[in-house]
Amino acid sequence: MVEHVPLLIVGGGPAGLAAADTALARGGKVMLLDEQPGPGGQIYRNISDTDEDRRKILGPDYAQGTSLLGVLERDGLRYRPGTTVWEVTPERTVYYTEGGQARVVTADRIILATGAMERPMPFPGWTLPGVMTCGAAQIMLKAGGIFAAEGAVLAGSGPLLLLIATQMLAAGARIEAIVETTPARNYMTALAYLPRALRAADYLRKGIAMTATLRRAGIPWYKGAHGLQALGADRVEVLRFTAGGKPRELACKLLLLHQGVVPNVQITRSLWLDHDWDAMQRAWRPRLDEWGETGLAGIFVAGDGAGIVGAKASAIQGRLAALRATDASAGEGAPLRRALSRELAIRPFLDRLYRPAMEFLRPGDGTIVCRCEEVAAGQIREHVRIGCLGPNQTKAYSRAGMGPCQGRVCGLSVSEIIAGARGVSPGEVGYYRIRPPIKPVTISELAALAEEDEPTG
Amino acid sequence: MAKYSVFSLVRNALSYHENWQRAWRSPDPKPEYDILVIGGGGHGLATAHYLAKEHGINNVAVIEKGWLGGGNTARNTTIVRSNYLWDESAAIYEHSLKLWEGLSQDLNFNVMFSQRGVMNLAHNLHDWRELNRRVHAIRLNGVDSEILSAAQVKAEAPILNVSPDSRYPIIGASMQRRGGTARHDAVAWGYARAADQRGVDIIQNCEVTGFVINNGRVEGVETTRGPIKAKRVGVAVAGHSSVLADMAGFRMPVESNPLQALVSDPIKPVLDCVVMSSAVHVYISQSDRGEFVIGAGSDLHVSYSQRGSFEIIEGIMGALCELVPMVSRMKMMRQWGGVVDVTPDRSPIVGKTPVEGLFINCGWGTGGFKGTPGSGHAFAATLAAGEPNDMAGPFSLDRFRTGFLIDEAGAAAVAH
Repeated sequence: MVEHVPLLIVGGGPAGLAAADTALARGGKVMLLDEQPGPGGQIYRNISDTDEDRRKILGPDYAQGTSLLGVLERDGLRYRPGTTVWEVTPERTVYYTEGGQARVVTADRIILATGAMERPMPFPGWTLPGVMTCGAAQIMLKAGGIFAAEGAVLAGSGPLLLLIATQMLAAGARIEAIVETTPARNYMTALAYLPRALRAADYLRKGIAMTATLRRAGIPWYKGAHGLQALGADRVEVLRFTAGGKPRELACKLLLLHQGVVPNVQITRSLWLDHDWDAMQRAWRPRLDEWGETGLAGIFVAGDGAGIVGAKASAIQGRLAALRATDASAGEGAPLRRALSRELAIRPFLDRLYRPAMEFLRPGDGTIVCRCEEVAAGQIREHVRIGCLGPNQTKAYSRAGMGPCQGRVCGLSVSEIIAGARGVSPGEVGYYRIRPPIKPVTISELAALAEEDEPTG
Repeated sequence: MAKYSVFSLVRNALSYHENWQRAWRSPDPKPEYDILVIGGGGHGLATAHYLAKEHGINNVAVIEKGWLGGGNTARNTTIVRSNYLWDESAAIYEHSLKLWEGLSQDLNFNVMFSQRGVMNLAHNLHDWRELNRRVHAIRLNGVDSEILSAAQVKAEAPILNVSPDSRYPIIGASMQRRGGTARHDAVAWGYARAADQRGVDIIQNCEVTGFVINNGRVEGVETTRGPIKAKRVGVAVAGHSSVLADMAGFRMPVESNPLQALVSDPIKPVLDCVVMSSAVHVYISQSDRGEFVIGAGSDLHVSYSQRGSFEIIEGIMGALCELVPMVSRMKMMRQWGGVVDVTPDRSPIVGKTPVEGLFINCGWGTGGFKGTPGSGHAFAATLAAGEPNDMAGPFSLDRFRTGFLIDEAGAAAVAH
């Protein structure tokens, strides 16, 4: 027999935990599947096991995550950490792997709270050993209190870049330099959104405080850097860039990159749902109604997976979706929507300020964009020259997007590059058709699933 | 347009391969053509190529709603063989295989046709008897086919489990050594380039929205890029044939089912032939990149969706792990479905429709890819003459009224 649950939540970050909390408070029964070994998602990773010292390092915003943990004590919750969901069907059947075995469950309602992923930052040399994302460094810091002994150079743009720098600093890690790639004109264009952002002055204060901390620490900080190149024979040795009109070179053994985060739309894409191109965030977001319900009745998306909103707003979106998924009346969402609107006031300012520079959205010809199949940006442009119209055709031309990451890493870059070469918006170019499994599954896992389906007597 | 050769390769290497020309034009539709082919997959493009090459008809357009070879041409498991039971099928599939054997030269485009052999396994006495009967019938038709013992099967494909106590013991197999695989995209591109060179207009992103029919005779089509007139129209749209037939006002005895396939992660070469098993409903080969390409069953429900239900895949995997134990630790990377159009007797329909001047080529079921050259060749002859040729004749739509069926229900590894 296939197991059936009334409400299934995929993802145990702020959106997923808050959704579970609301649904359970309303007497619902919930199954929560999460790929991570513990609750909290990326932002509150390892929150249930982190000691006081490490909380101090990671800051008060991180410690706030503990407030979401109460839900795990509630009756009616089946919390399954360490499970990987690899297929969701429009009929709300969910396939996942737990402990090396594939399982299946059906649900009346599904809330997808799969969050965000770091935006890949392709530039010459980004595939060299010794180059990582800031997010990866933060995972090590949160999960094990680990940081690199040798000094790191941080390069990129976005609020998280500053946050990670302050966290590393607090942990006692050495930061050689911050190479900020935020284009200078972004500061001007973002000004237009500043008045609205003042409604969320708290966020602005935090940003100013982080900047001050980093300044006090005397870390060399290069602004408006462009023309980045990571150089090295077997691993990264030098970061070359231009800042303040001067070419510069920094010796570095560890280069941490960050270029903001984007919604992880693999599951919603694999469901063939409508997605809109968000020109502000330069990413796709699934089309949702005011509750977060998708075009497929009973399937909801909450949190950063539906467009980047941050941890607090994600939790509110999770609660909204859970209200609707437990048949709340139309009026019950109003207070949450007001709170959501306050939290979102900062977004346009941040989105505009930290919009990635074109050199990372549409890198130069020699830069690898699809790491799995080693396809360079120039090859994608060549495809367009000989008649390729969209990302799904690039699969036939060069296999871009067909490797083990299932297109997660190169998807946005390929759409951007084709859009640039064709002179249209990425919205018109479209995105990869994502195929299940979202994460590769072994054949024996599948076979084990089939056996379980047979009647057992 | 330049001929591809060693010399062109050397010449272009000297300019760092930056000056290769487009393989085909991208023309706007003309107001009128002698013959219009709907569907820019393998069959439609092959039809256009043979119309121009064999019949000298160059005023031809192929119109495609998406891009070339984006339909079933891109979604199949690339197996080519001609070991069919009945005379009519053997004739057209063997003709097709012969064309495959010279296709790269004919098109001046490497379709990577690899005659690595296709093996059909027998797992029980019934399979074995049926397989012997088929091999003899196939050989009587002059098509190569041989019988292998279990030991010979093991020698051909050491990764197979031939132990007598396995769930699906292998008693023996039939083998067609001239069968094999080809590169699916290259087939569409090669035909497109060759047809384009002979003046055929290939028009992509042009969807047919209706037919212009007067007094029972087709005069052209309405498309998203405007109306196009034509003296004769050929439909080669596989899984969507009944949709177009509906537009033209007649019904087709065709059901569309999703047929599923999946691909593993790449590993080093371990399997140099194609293995098929009707009992397990699976066929497996290793691509030139090292991935295992695994074809699974077709869904029992009727659907136009290019995705299949997962039950079909998972149900087959347990059996596959028994048959090929080493696959169990390999990872499934992608799973997809293609829409196959299946007729009541599991044989294609090539020929006339109730609308004069409108011809159809469909119902190839799971045999579409291997049939591409033969299908295009026969359909081109039919469109050129306005009458089915000898090869297409038995595959008329009319056979479902007369009862002259060509029952090939047991010809594929997939029960459909």
